[in-house]
Amino acid sequence: MSPLLRRSAEVLRRLARRKGALLGLLFMGVLILTTSLARWILPFDALTQDFSAILQGPNRVHWFGTDELGRDILARVVVGARTSLITAGGAVAIAAIIGVPIGLVAGFFGGWRDTLLMRFVDVLLSLPGILFAMALIAVLGRSQIAALIAVGITGIPSFARITRAQVLSLRKRDFVTAVEALGGSASYNMFRTVLPNSWSPILVQVVILSSVAILIEASLAFLGVGIPPPTPSWGEMLRTGKTFLYDSPTYAILPGLVLTLTILSLDAIGRGLAGVLADRHEDVAEGNTAAAGSRS
Amino acid sequence: MIGFILRRLAQLLPVLLVASTGIWAMIYAVPGTPIGTIVGENATPEQVRAAIERLGLDQPMAVQYWSWLRNALVGDFGLSIQNREPVLDLIVQRIPATIQLGVSATIVGLLLGVPVAVISALKPGSWLDRWLSGWSALALGVPTFWLGILLILLFAVHLRWLPSASAYVSIWESPWQALRNVLLPAVTLGVYVSGIFARFLRASLLGELRADYVRTARSKGLSERDVIGRHVMRNALLPFVTIVGLMMATFIGGTVVTEAVLPTPGWGGC
Repeated sequence: MSPLLRRSAEVLRRLARRKGALLGLLFMGVLILTTSLARWILPFDALTQDFSAILQGPNRVHWFGTDELGRDILARVVVGARTSLITAGGAVAIAAIIGVPIGLVAGFFGGWRDTLLMRFVDVLLSLPGILFAMALIAVLGRSQIAALIAVGITGIPSFARITRAQVLSLRKRDFVTAVEALGGSASYNMFRTVLPNSWSPILVQVVILSSVAILIEASLAFLGVGIPPPTPSWGEMLRTGKTFLYDSPTYAILPGLVLTLTILSLDAIGRGLAGVLADRHEDVAEGNTAAAGSRS
Repeated sequence: MIGFILRRLAQLLPVLLVASTGIWAMIYAVPGTPIGTIVGENATPEQVRAAIERLGLDQPMAVQYWSWLRNALVGDFGLSIQNREPVLDLIVQRIPATIQLGVSATIVGLLLGVPVAVISALKPGSWLDRWLSGWSALALGVPTFWLGILLILLFAVHLRWLPSASAYVSIWESPWQALRNVLLPAVTLGVYVSGIFARFLRASLLGELRADYVRTARSKGLSERDVIGRHVMRNALLPFVTIVGLMMATFIGGTVVTEAVLPTPGWGGC
């Protein structure tokens, strides 16, 4: 086994020993498995309408009931998971690809580069996330890409700040100075020495931010500016379900429950991961709960 | 003190200018325009051109920026696309409702969050602490709009105690009615913010409990109640007050999602 694989297996084993993180891993495992096998294991299609069976409560045929067009809610929840996970994954990738280099350069060089980059990050941070995303979507039009970009941009500050904090703590360490003294270029030092030693808090941030991203994506869909129908998405289902609260209360409750469990699972995995990695070396305890983004 | 406040306010001006310019530039730089939303999907090319000319979107960038900034400075934020009223009027009309919701949500958050933080900080690592930390995670993880739906189902649909959508009623004119109207959205937001409050205050309290003066106070023979209440609490509250203020500012800045579940006449519903 390669060392990286062995280390990942070790981290995963320790993670599974924490009760909260284990439950989170199990839930996410089931969710990802069902959503990727949806076509083969679900008896109903997420888009097929059946007007002879609208707004049913949970029953033996439709476990989660049906919506106002007679579509199976369970199938829509499972397929909606794909929408959520892909949007969140893409958004986190955007945030990391832009945020990590910003934090790396700001923390490594300091001085005017630091001031300039971090003021930019401060401006991003001061934008109310959801309002900014809504403005961006108003201009770009409703699509999965728009939602992904909007959520991704709101995630840039947390990656920049966490990476910068980690780089600052490494910057004066002997091994970094040694590379400098040996004549290693700044970019070599940044990307080959400092960055590989900063992965732990960034990884924790990836997990925690994906839960935040799923939440923001669902909020946007709930406000009616997310991914356009008929693509099933959890927020959109809650939005429609809310108008049928009297006729079919489970319509809004069940998709919301799955959404909540997904967010809580990712949060538990993230916090467990932070604990495991902090045990390994105590200087990576940063950024544990730093992602309490604005989402009122 | 007054000099300090004035100096800070003077520093605010360039920050506001830079931030607003930044936001303007970002929206400007993004390809595409909201023109489709304004003229409607079935507009003819002539209508689109007319709208572009009317809004001045064919002017050079510098001209557009200057007219935007000049109008913003005199309080002219244009007309709302939705109902054609001046945006400034909408903002002013909705100030009282927004403040009422923001303040009540903060109060709910403090009532729920502070006891949780104090109890878990007194016995760190105990089962009680673990359960209360679980509560904070739950409060932060549950989407506000889903919690709002659950509360509506219970209190408005099932028990019929509280309204699910409400008009603004001033707390000074009819306190009971105002309380009834603001309770559901305030609890929805308050539960979320209580999670932030609890986590922050707990960390702040634990930090203070490790300080030297705590050992001194204890060795002096002060009762644990006095140590916590008179010394630790006061110091731990300093950074906490900042967070409470910041959260309140966030609420005033807009509670879009909450107001979408529980329609209230604040800024989020514009």
